[in-house]
Amino acid sequence: MKIDPSKCIGCGKCKSYCAMWGGIMRFERDPKRPQRVICAINEDECVECGVCLSSGCCPTDALYQPELEWPRILRKNFSDPKKVHPETRIPGRGTEEMKTNEVTGRFPRGKFGMAFELGRPGVGTRFRDVEKVAMAVAGLGLSFEENNPVTKLMIDRKTGRINPEVLDEKVLSAIVEFLIPEEMLPRVLDALDRVAQQVDTVFVGDIISRVARDGSVPYIDVIRGRNRFLSINGKSNVGLGRPLANV
Amino acid sequence: MTHTLHRRGDRENLSGDFVVFTMSAKGFNEKGSGAKMKKFLEIVLKYDPVTFGDGITGNSKVKSREEIYNNIEDVSVVHAVFTDPAVVANVLKDLKKAEVGTSIIVSGLHEETEKCCRAAGLKKHTIEHSMGYFGQVKRLPDHEFMELTSMCGHAMVPANLVEKVLREIKRGKKSCREAALELTKPCHCGVYNPARAEKLLKRLVPLMVLDE
Repeated sequence: MKIDPSKCIGCGKCKSYCAMWGGIMRFERDPKRPQRVICAINEDECVECGVCLSSGCCPTDALYQPELEWPRILRKNFSDPKKVHPETRIPGRGTEEMKTNEVTGRFPRGKFGMAFELGRPGVGTRFRDVEKVAMAVAGLGLSFEENNPVTKLMIDRKTGRINPEVLDEKVLSAIVEFLIPEEMLPRVLDALDRVAQQVDTVFVGDIISRVARDGSVPYIDVIRGRNRFLSINGKSNVGLGRPLANV
Repeated sequence: MTHTLHRRGDRENLSGDFVVFTMSAKGFNEKGSGAKMKKFLEIVLKYDPVTFGDGITGNSKVKSREEIYNNIEDVSVVHAVFTDPAVVANVLKDLKKAEVGTSIIVSGLHEETEKCCRAAGLKKHTIEHSMGYFGQVKRLPDHEFMELTSMCGHAMVPANLVEKVLREIKRGKKSCREAALELTKPCHCGVYNPARAEKLLKRLVPLMVLDE
């Protein structure tokens, strides 16, 4: 995103609509007319989410998003939920995960789906940190969800290594998604704690399970038994999609 | 997406915060699913959701009902937000009866959504929980801000905007209701709950001190 200095009046309204906590706009003097104060965007920190532009907050239409090329276009693909992800054909962060499980059978009984979503909320993440998390997962011998835009950026899914061209690109959030056998959950939680010390961002953890035949959810006791946080709210797929997968 | 998973709050303020939504499974039942998701929207609209929307077009506070409905396509993700569990149970009953065919997901307190499903004669198929935040958590906004921002799972409701509207409420320039509406607008998909936001703002405003 850019600000046209010839139009900007330095009101700072755009800062309230910046998705990055604290805002990535700064006030500076117009180099051509130093008596004018204008706003400028820190391009390196901008994730191209478009929230400021979509808000219509700028009284002089000074905000604009130029045509983005590779690898910068990646920022918009991952950060602007209005953009349908080109690989997955899903708007937003571009992954179906448990929402369609009764049809896709992605998460059968005996396995848990897990995801670590880096950057949200309001901190953003560089793919350098996404790679650290991906490598921590790959190090456990786990496989990544194929229909996920982060997976499609990997140059080696056995190691979790991501295309080096994009490592410095910053996005609003990116999700590392994978499947684990139930019994591996404690090891994954330990790996999660280790990699959490190494990243320069925040991430949230998600866990998914097919409901057991007795109505229980197998990971609840494992996680709460380790005195770890597990939300009291969440998502439930109610099994109405068709055709039904055999899971 | 995990766009309705990480709604932060306590049992009291999360009670009555429901999102019911639908999407197709790419490569499975995607073709022609747009018409099915239109049927979904017809059903949920009978129950007057506090917000609704589609990831393709936008939310009902910014776009018209007709625009949202007419632009639903096979890659849409259509959402509706409710505050009453009895209404959610009836919505699920109607969706079950209609056999729309696309996946239906309900987000909310697990014990409340379980009751809604039972009342609708449904059994949960797959469940998801949040395991919370990791990493450089000191970089996150305060918890009270996150209760407001986390209702937009794509992080489109900036904490900076929460700060702005709180100042405006303190200065008497906006009511909590108007501020809640302003926070709802950037949430493109329509999963933000303005009714809950209004309650959270009313609770938060007396605690905030303007530092000017």
